[in-house]
Amino acid sequence: MNDVTIAVLVYIVLPVVSGVAVPMTSWMLGRWYQNGLFKALEVAEAAEGKGFGDAQLVSYQKKQETIAAEYTTLLMANIVVGPSWGQMFLMWMKSLFGGALPSYAGVLDYGRREAIQRLKVQARERGCTSIVNMRVETSVIATAKGNDSKSSSVEFLAYGTGYR
Amino acid sequence: MQPQPVALLMSNVETIPGKTIVNSLGLVSGSTVRAKHLGKDIFAGLKNLVGGELKAYTELLNESRNEALQRMMMEAHQRGANGIVNVRFATSSVAAGASELFVYGTAVVVE
Repeated sequence: MNDVTIAVLVYIVLPVVSGVAVPMTSWMLGRWYQNGLFKALEVAEAAEGKGFGDAQLVSYQKKQETIAAEYTTLLMANIVVGPSWGQMFLMWMKSLFGGALPSYAGVLDYGRREAIQRLKVQARERGCTSIVNMRVETSVIATAKGNDSKSSSVEFLAYGTGYR
Repeated sequence: MQPQPVALLMSNVETIPGKTIVNSLGLVSGSTVRAKHLGKDIFAGLKNLVGGELKAYTELLNESRNEALQRMMMEAHQRGANGIVNVRFATSSVAAGASELFVYGTAVVVE
């Protein structure tokens, strides 16, 4: 009887508990941590305000025969972000039915906005007053499935030309 | 012999703001392939507990990209250019755990 109890514990209860508890813990911790990151980003974006707002951050390429400028530089800023295990677990569950993945979209949204924010900070540090032709590039660094990689991550690179 | 770092004027628009292009010297490019550090990969995996930024990778890719840029600038410098316009970045995963960082642009002489 005792042996059966132990066997049940080891082979059924433990895998089920760890299989659910680890992603759940990760999901809760990740939610708390990523909310913190988002709040910090929103504060930073608010502080930047209209620093490079609208007219000065241009993502298209006009015919610019002559831009009057005394200084020009190539700006680039990058960030690598990854979802938490809990989010990966939820993604896997969701992939059974398909549909939108709002928690993963949040991670990517954070990464992209943070990259743009860093680009603006870099532009201000170098004394630029405008950024033109800003591009954001996305590349997958690692996926947790299908290879020996332990992590899942996506890189965002924001780049553009700053001048004053 | 370590090549001396060179600094050229660069932009990703068709001109260099405030300058006039007098001569175009053709396409220049630079690339580098970087593999992940196993230890860093494990730490990054642990960071996936909460998600968010993976700083080790951010720095690794930034360094690698600067190296690719430096190679492109060396090539342009050897052709006698003093600027590069229309700079573009491309990143691709060539194998599990390795990325190629490629950067290209047009070498020009400006004044």
